[in-house]
This record gives sequence, C-alpha cells and structure tokens, in this order.
Amino acid sequence: MFARSSSRIFNVINISCIQSRSARAWVRKPLGSPMAKSKMFRIAPKKFIPADEKAEVKRLYDNYFHQMKSLRHYFFEQSLEQAESGEVAQMKHRLEEEEHIRLMEENRLENEKTAKLREEKLKIQAEKKRENILASLINKEEETRLYEIQIEAFLEKQKTTPFIQAENIEKAIEEALANPVDFNFAIDLDGYVYRGRETAIEKIPEEERERLRSN
Amino acid sequence: MASAIPTFTKIGKVIRLNKHGCTNRPFYHIVVQKTKDNFDGPVIEQVGSYDAMPNSQNEKLVAVNFERVQYWLAQGAGMSNPVAQLLGLSGFLPNHPQTLIQSWKNRREPPRERKLQPIKGIAPPLDNPKI
Repeated sequence: MFARSSSRIFNVINISCIQSRSARAWVRKPLGSPMAKSKMFRIAPKKFIPADEKAEVKRLYDNYFHQMKSLRHYFFEQSLEQAESGEVAQMKHRLEEEEHIRLMEENRLENEKTAKLREEKLKIQAEKKRENILASLINKEEETRLYEIQIEAFLEKQKTTPFIQAENIEKAIEEALANPVDFNFAIDLDGYVYRGRETAIEKIPEEERERLRSN
Repeated sequence: MASAIPTFTKIGKVIRLNKHGCTNRPFYHIVVQKTKDNFDGPVIEQVGSYDAMPNSQNEKLVAVNFERVQYWLAQGAGMSNPVAQLLGLSGFLPNHPQTLIQSWKNRREPPRERKLQPIKGIAPPLDNPKI
C-alpha cells in the first residue's frame, strides 16, 4: 500500500501506516457514531438547474465526446501510419534488408562448400559402383560359362544312357522277360544288400556280398 | 456499425495535472501516469506544465508537448478534466463544455470575495477575476 497519512484498512478507518507525532488526519466519521446535534434536522440544498440549461449542457457534452472519440481514432490511425513510414521504421527496414543480403551471401558460400564436398563423394561412389558392376559382369560371364559346360556334360551323359528306341523295343522286351529283377531285398546304411534272412554282413561270405553304390 | 471501428480498451494510463510548488504557490506538471499511482509517485513522462499564478503580464503560462500528447492519446490514455480544458483552450482539442459553462456562470454571478488580490501596476485590475 502507498504511504498515505490516513488509510482505510479492513474497514477500520483513520489509522495511519506511518508513525507521526503530529495530529492525526481525519478521513471520515466512524460508521456507527450518531448524527451530530447541528446536523440532525439539516436538509442539504439541492441545486436547481432549468431544463433548457440542462439540455444545452447535455448537447455540449454529447458533441464534445463525439468529437473526442473521432479524434482518438484519427490519432490511432496516424500512429499506425507513422509506425510504417516513419524514420525508425525506415531505418529498421534498411537494417533488415542488409541483414537479409548478408545472410543470403553466407548461405550461398555454405552451399558452394557443401556442393564441392558432395561432388567429390559422388565421384568416389560412382567409381566404386563402376568397379562393382564390372566385377559382377565378369562373375556373371564366368557363371554362364560354367553353367554351359555343366549343361554340355549333362546332355552328353543323357545321350550316352541306353534309351530304348523304336528299333530296340522287341530286343528290350525279350531281355527284360529273360532277366527279371527282384526288389525283395533290404539295404544297409553302408549300401550292403540283404536278400536272404541274414541281418549281419559278417555272416554273409565275401564272394556273395553285394553293395549298391550311389554315383 | 459499431464493429467496424475498434473500441479502445483502457490502458490504465492518464494525462493529468500533478500539483507541485509550495504553500500558496501551486505549480502543476502536466504528466502521463498510471491511474493507480499517487501524485508524488512514479511518472511515465512529463508532457507540459501549468502555472496557476498569473505572472507580471497577468498571464497564466501553459507549456504542452503536443506530439507526445498525440502519441499517448493514440495509445489510449485518458485525460483529466483540467487537462482537457487546457488543451481545448490551446486549440489542440475542441473546447471542453466546462469552459463554456464556467464562462456563462461567471458572466451571470457577481464575483466572490478573494483572499489574494490581483497584481496591481502593469495590468489593470479586474472586477470579476474569474473572467
């Protein structure tokens, strides 16, 4: 609170915040106290203002407030215009322009630097890529060559296998009938064939042992 | 249309007279202050002065910085009645109704007894010192 000579704190009046030795200033009569004898039957005089004077006063005040309102708006708009076109605004604008140009220049230099670095990187990458592609092409060629050789070998093998042609068919039939193949045999993990009732290869004599080989 | 023109919100600042000087010698500063502050409290800007005692030429001197007053009015500062009257008399603002009312009251009523006498010698004494 400001230091006033007498104050109203929590509706307790006539207290002073500052200590002073002079007489205490009077703010107002305490609210509960009775009316003084001299004021009991007093009627406060009311000012009489004729109607035409009142009307004139009202007219004057209405006009004045109307004019003041419009003036305030005018001043406000002037201040806005001034803010945009005044000296301070122009200087600000100029400084901003300079700053902008400086920053654009800096940006351009930075871009050039990074562009150079990028180009070098790209060159190295391109070189690597070229080498990779070459290596892969060579690999591919090698593979196709090997594949062709394999195909050749396979075809050769197929050709050499004894297929039954139309001319050989009767001979083949007679051969098949003459040599029946018996599949009633068991086979060992080592490939030994068990045709009889023996279950161990040691029991079969050496001369009669058969072995299937996977070629 | 009320919505077309923006209404001014109160910014809590006011242009008014601060009484300085000493006993029997008032001197006012025309000042921009926050409404809450006291007359002897912090002042945002002094924008003029008003000497209530007439000088040897029987003039009451008023000084006003109109540019700054315009700036503060544009910001939305309020004005006390005496300041508005002074600015109206100076021609910066329209005449305050109070000046006109006071002038016709003065013409109507006889002058009342005053303690301070008008300065005699250079300017002639007035019958009605209110005018």
